[in-house]
Amino acid sequence: MTNPRRRYPLIAVAVVALASVGAGARWAVAHKEPHTAEQLAAFQEVFMEQVRTGDALFHGDAETEKKLGVKLSATGMACAMCHPYTSDTHPHEFPKFQEQMNEFATLRDMINWCIEKPNEGEKIDPDGPAMKALEAYIYWSNRHSKLDPGRH
Amino acid sequence: MSEQQGRWRKPASLPLVAEGRPDAGTCITRRTFLHKSLLYGAAGAASYGLFPLLNTIDLAFAQTGQAFRFAWVSDTHLYPRDVNTRFVEKAVRAFQEVQAMDPPADFLIFGGDLAQLGDPVELQLGAELLKEVKIRKVFIPGEHDWYLDMGATWNKMFGASPWTFDHKGVRFIGLDTISRAPDFWTPRKMSAKERMGHMATLDGTLGGAWAAVGEEQLRWLDGTLARWPKDRPVVVFTHNPLYEYYPPWNFWVRDWLPVQEILKPFANVTNIHGHTHQVLYNEIGSMRSIGMLATSWPWPYGPEGVPALTRPMVRADPGDHFDGVGWGELSVSAAARVDNEYRMWRKTVYAAAPEDSGTDDNRNQVLSPRIADRI
Repeated sequence: MTNPRRRYPLIAVAVVALASVGAGARWAVAHKEPHTAEQLAAFQEVFMEQVRTGDALFHGDAETEKKLGVKLSATGMACAMCHPYTSDTHPHEFPKFQEQMNEFATLRDMINWCIEKPNEGEKIDPDGPAMKALEAYIYWSNRHSKLDPGRH
Repeated sequence: MSEQQGRWRKPASLPLVAEGRPDAGTCITRRTFLHKSLLYGAAGAASYGLFPLLNTIDLAFAQTGQAFRFAWVSDTHLYPRDVNTRFVEKAVRAFQEVQAMDPPADFLIFGGDLAQLGDPVELQLGAELLKEVKIRKVFIPGEHDWYLDMGATWNKMFGASPWTFDHKGVRFIGLDTISRAPDFWTPRKMSAKERMGHMATLDGTLGGAWAAVGEEQLRWLDGTLARWPKDRPVVVFTHNPLYEYYPPWNFWVRDWLPVQEILKPFANVTNIHGHTHQVLYNEIGSMRSIGMLATSWPWPYGPEGVPALTRPMVRADPGDHFDGVGWGELSVSAAARVDNEYRMWRKTVYAAAPEDSGTDDNRNQVLSPRIADRI
């Protein structure tokens, strides 16, 4: 695959040419510029905000649940009570056949199974903000784990 | 095998969860320890064929010739009944089975965490359920019983710790290992409920190394044992283990070294503890240490530090809330040895194969401490 950075001089020439004939091509330049430290910090902050939100949800923070309109448990139990440090959530093992569901499942499927079955809560939108935050926290906490999809 | 495995392990004396702390404390994977346990692990009986398998303690002491048994129940983590009936059902089942022991146990030790959030309603519910047990009952507190009102309700209802009594030639001691958390709440102007919430979170960062025996209690322990013959059996009940297993979850007491110094001269010491919610066994010098089951839910094994002598329990089914939990029946043998039988509410207690254990199913898992409560 071509290294995008090698194309920068060409793109710059093209942009200058386009700019000389009219506006409208600057987006192409902005997207290809090397990231600044400020940009990277901003990207990281977006991610870590999701991690912190997911951590709060995972530990049963009622305020965060209310804010996101979800009810993850009806038993008083939070995810972290069985999964301290996200132990045994095994994000690195998905997708895999999940025995409890008797089907091939993703991490999001498993999160919803845990919410609905052991926690007796209400399943959440698999593409919604609460799910994304929970996923962010679980992956962040397991970021040194080794990918091992399919393992049971 | 994880590449993290060979990295440096945090000494116990370092602060537990300083801001920006590296993940060194979690760098050795469970596989390492299960592997060790399989290599060097304690031999044990094959899977139990009994159902339900109870978690009990039998004692028979040669010097008196009187065999006896006692029972351990802990970590019921009761919520108010209208929040959670599941934990009530399991506590009731344990108490009924203790009461049904035949021949009866000489006493029941309740090993702490009767309540989930220290609420007097929860403690009162526990006291009501405990009426099922008519034999003698003794109590030590857990952190979940304590940090709403700093033990006021607990001590009033169940008595203060430490305590000791002699029974058929064995010296029994109950310690408080939970009340000495560093004060993280006053500078942060926390309410009592907020304090309790943080202390009730196993992987929380604010409580730090809260588990301890404490200087005053160490002196008491030393004095209590001063005239006890060194060759006679001593049984010490604690909520937390009296050795370093996994400090970030307070699977230890921070002053376990001076505790060991006091207990070292005694030839036959058994520590029986709760808090870890799992099958656990260790030996340090002449002290054996037995971790007991919870009735509420099983904890995963720590990411590192699982004693090599531990034979791992089987993986629990998260869809069955009676799985991986139970109580304990103990006996003192003719050789003055404390033997434990886990009364786990499933057919099989120990893993038959690594992949079915609570440890070696995690060969590629490397975990990090949490972040959202670093305030």
